Amino acid sequence: MGSLLGDWPSYDPHNFSQLRPADPSAQPSKLTPATYHPTHNRTLPPPNQVISNEARNILLRHFYQKSEEKFRPKRAASDHLTSEHNCKQPRAAYADGAH
Amino acid sequence: MSVWNYVVTAHKPTNVTHSCVGNFTSPQELNLIIAKCTRIEIHLLTPHGLQPMLDVPIYGRIATLELFRPHGEPQDFLFIATERYKFCVLQWDAETSELITRAMGDVSDRIGRPTDNGQIGLIDPDCRLIGLHLYDGLFKVIPFDNKGQLKEAFNIRLEELQVLDIKFLYGCLKPTIVVLYQDNKDARHAKTYEIALKDKDFVEGPLSHTNLDNGAGILIPVPMPLGGVIIIGEETIVYCSVSAFKAIPIRPSITRAYGRVDADGSRYLLGDNAGLLHLLVITHERERVTGLKIEHLGETSVASTISYLDNAVVYIGSSYGDSQLIKLNLQPDAKGSYVEVLEKYVNLGPIVDFCVVDLERQGQGQVVTCSGAYKDGSLRIVRNGIGINEQASVELQGIKGLWSLRSSTNDPYDTFLVVSFINETRVLAMNMDDELEESEIEGFCAEAQTLFCQNAIHDQLVQVTANSVRLVSSTTRELLHEWNAPSGYSVNVATANASQVLLATGGGHLVYLEIGNGKLAEVKHVQLDYEISCLDINPSGENPNYSTLAAVGMWTDISVRIFSLPSLELLAKENLGGEIIPRSVLLCTFEGVSYLLCTLGDGHLLNFLLNLSTGELSNRKKVSLGTQPIMLRTFSSKDTTHVFAASDRPTVIYSSNKKLLYSNVNLKEVSHMCPFNSAAFPDSLAIAKEGELSIGTIDDIQKLHIRTIPLGEHARRICHQEQSRTFAICSLKNCQTSNEETEMHFVRLLDDQTFEFISTYPLDTYEYGCSIISCSFSDDNNAYYCVGTAYVLPEENEPSKGRILVFVVEDGKLQLIAEKETKGAVYSLNAFNGKLLAAINQKIQLYKWMLREDGSRELQAECGHHGHILALYVQTRGDFIVVGDLMKSISLLLYKHEEGAIEELARDYNANWMSAVEILDDDVFLGAENNYNLFTVRKNSDAATDEERGRLEVVGEYHLGEFVNRFRHGSLVMRLPDLEAGHIPTVIFGTINGVIGVVASLPHDQYVFLEKLQANLVKVIKGVGGLSHEQWRSFNNEKKTVDARNFLDGDLIESFLDLSRSRMDEIASSMGVPLEELCKRVEELTRLH
Repeated sequence: MGSLLGDWPSYDPHNFSQLRPADPSAQPSKLTPATYHPTHNRTLPPPNQVISNEARNILLRHFYQKSEEKFRPKRAASDHLTSEHNCKQPRAAYADGAH
Repeated sequence: MSVWNYVVTAHKPTNVTHSCVGNFTSPQELNLIIAKCTRIEIHLLTPHGLQPMLDVPIYGRIATLELFRPHGEPQDFLFIATERYKFCVLQWDAETSELITRAMGDVSDRIGRPTDNGQIGLIDPDCRLIGLHLYDGLFKVIPFDNKGQLKEAFNIRLEELQVLDIKFLYGCLKPTIVVLYQDNKDARHAKTYEIALKDKDFVEGPLSHTNLDNGAGILIPVPMPLGGVIIIGEETIVYCSVSAFKAIPIRPSITRAYGRVDADGSRYLLGDNAGLLHLLVITHERERVTGLKIEHLGETSVASTISYLDNAVVYIGSSYGDSQLIKLNLQPDAKGSYVEVLEKYVNLGPIVDFCVVDLERQGQGQVVTCSGAYKDGSLRIVRNGIGINEQASVELQGIKGLWSLRSSTNDPYDTFLVVSFINETRVLAMNMDDELEESEIEGFCAEAQTLFCQNAIHDQLVQVTANSVRLVSSTTRELLHEWNAPSGYSVNVATANASQVLLATGGGHLVYLEIGNGKLAEVKHVQLDYEISCLDINPSGENPNYSTLAAVGMWTDISVRIFSLPSLELLAKENLGGEIIPRSVLLCTFEGVSYLLCTLGDGHLLNFLLNLSTGELSNRKKVSLGTQPIMLRTFSSKDTTHVFAASDRPTVIYSSNKKLLYSNVNLKEVSHMCPFNSAAFPDSLAIAKEGELSIGTIDDIQKLHIRTIPLGEHARRICHQEQSRTFAICSLKNCQTSNEETEMHFVRLLDDQTFEFISTYPLDTYEYGCSIISCSFSDDNNAYYCVGTAYVLPEENEPSKGRILVFVVEDGKLQLIAEKETKGAVYSLNAFNGKLLAAINQKIQLYKWMLREDGSRELQAECGHHGHILALYVQTRGDFIVVGDLMKSISLLLYKHEEGAIEELARDYNANWMSAVEILDDDVFLGAENNYNLFTVRKNSDAATDEERGRLEVVGEYHLGEFVNRFRHGSLVMRLPDLEAGHIPTVIFGTINGVIGVVASLPHDQYVFLEKLQANLVKVIKGVGGLSHEQWRSFNNEKKTVDARNFLDGDLIESFLDLSRSRMDEIASSMGVPLEELCKRVEELTRLH
């Protein structure tokens, strides 16, 4: 099974190269990082990146979608079919990708 | 009145809940980012290991932590979602080393049932959207636009109600999720959905699998080119994609965490709930998956998160034990393990119970916690301050000074210990047998008090007495040269380094000598306006043997002055103010920053930043260390210089992240200290205290010391018994017998010094230890351990049977003296009026300790009180009983002696699900509940109506963000009656995340002052990710959200001391308080924990 275990990924061969493998009962690491207390103004995002939920509730959205469909009963059917075809293509593409 | 409370963290959370790896701080740097519930830590991978960069408090409990790379960005962004439905996207600005918020928001829905299995957050690998599963039946989408900006969030209806996991599939044209869920027949299935962003709806996806392993719990999406998903079950692991389906059986286990090893997704590390680490391998021929293989690697702490770092090094984050850095070796060790532990990171979580004891009987509280779970269970002894481990001591009265000397300049060890008394100087030396014995340095004057002595260059020693400075050869020990004080003058204070001597005689004369080979040369002499009280020439520049600056403290004008050497020109003068003279000055350098420390006769310490070239002093700060004069001395521990402040409250001054910190030394009073590094006592200190000279080693220099006692089993309750000097714990052990796993429960007795098991009482099958106390009964002087148990039968919803066991410790053994069957689980036991008060299911029951005719003892029921759902937590004070209920908040009961009855006086009518209660004073009670809030209620005994008297009024509310398992009265720091902080009553709490915190009840005026400071700080210290402090600390449960009141956030208030000088000034001026006073008041608060 050695083959499964070898060849561990290496992004930078220097990383951990000088870390002395201490014995397992090693003293726990005691380095403490500084605590961050931001005082700058960029803790607030750009105004357009304050995200909230869309105002319309999912149920209302559903009703509106339904009612729109009702207004255009027949043409909607053909639209619907093509859109279903569109849906299938990505699946095929996905399958391609998997091979 | 304990209404005004200050909550502060003494030990930060250590439970690692999430971790991820990526290029966060720079495109070239690899970072490990870990979440510890309410904090994140950013680490850098370096050749020397993990280097911690930053500890970032987050105003929320982290539910999701993900690194992702938006299109066109050179480095990763960090996505954080909190349990209270806030999220933010953070970016590292390397130029300023700041975290910048790219986006943030609130995605809570007004209606919606929070998911039972926790929140799920995920980011599309192609960065088209962020997905969140926060409420049953809804999948929330935050789409990215083509410029990488986030847009308005919307919900999609998700038919599956019991979702276990959701992941994005790789390599899909449209974002596609795979959902692992359980149906209403408890069968588990996986299916996929494509997300149609335009229609805001799902479309059936390419995969689905029904009737998976009953324990299927984790999905692992596999990157391209393989694609597909791995589903981890308890007995099988399956891989499925549109083109392949592979399954392998595994040894039954519950996988808790996984970490991807290879970028192509062919290998994964799996960690299970027994701490076993496995490697899962997808075998494939090019892009065709041929099978799965699993290989056992070894054992780690029970992992909650696994991150492969680099070069076979892996980070194991744990909730139940210490987190670890491990290396995966190519060859197994003797035990067949491929895992090598490189480092451990202490984790106290989950703290299930703890007790506060004074084991060393020094007035210093220590917290002993039941920490960890399963095989990683342990006891942890947590102590504040720095301990001195005494190696030797001798009785010696009237010590006036202490110095250690080497016998030659190059000798690594000290040989002599010079002890000065009022009329004589004695020299102690290490003899051949490594014993300290009286010795002699011939050239020294033994008939006078030594004011200072020092090893000098050219193998010489210097001794300063009132009359002269003597230069002595350290090899022949003979006098080489002597400088005599002018007649009519005597030396009052003196200091020296290896090549310089500075002394002061009466009349304000300051004399500067330089040490040559066999010669002392008077170089300069000046007369100052006033008498000199203290001086120092400790070299803090580049030359370790020579100082270019001298610090001098003055009588009369109460100032400290900096002079240049050798010219003795005045460079700077700082008036200290007040009437207390400076008693000790010290020039020193910590972490490359030079300071002048100056102590006053009343126990205050002033520190200044010192400009080494100009002698200028700046950034004055004042702290109160004790009440008596303080003597300062430097010493080294582990190659770092620290300062020892000897006084009635000995303190070590050290520096961490370029900030001066003060840590108590666990000794009562120290008059003098000097480092003493001898072969027999390496790295030791010689300490003069209360008529005694002792030599001891010093702990590592840090504020909290944690000692771990691994148990290999899960301790759930602990208490200490002073009389027998033992601890007793209730614990449980998971035992693997052939193919069945069983639990065994014990009551164990441990020695309170060695922490070894000295006696064990096994409980019955299915019997759990629920509570334990040490108590005595009226008319009986013995100390007993009482244990409350419950029979937890698989078929019962609530235990209907339990026991109370009464043990006595005899010859180090637990002897069962009495037992009493109960009609339910004994959740709590309290010593109460010489009797035993038990909380048994919905009832509070009082037992008398009765003497039978045959002389044996038994528990006899006296009276009780019904009316609780489950009485889980009980505290008593006098005849009052405070009950924390499973779901009916806090109620107050009274025991009436005459009637022999327990009656309810008042209750809080809120529906709080309690996790701990404590009595703060006669009228105010503190509670913690399961939505991570703290609150206080007050008894209304003076109210006009019965109705009002029967209601406990909620007076304080606060969101702690931590699940508190236990409150205990006590303190982590040594209490000094003279200090203001000594009067502040404190309660310690322990939490699931391993937090140890303190609730301090403040006087009203101090509360008002600090509340104002907090309000000012909120404006200056911003919430990371734009999260609001006010919202974070607001009391929040399913029913209500209200602003915090009558609780202050001590962590925020104490972070004042981390601010830059200009920010501090800003706050001080807006508060109208001198900065020095503000610093001092906050510094005092830090000494509460």
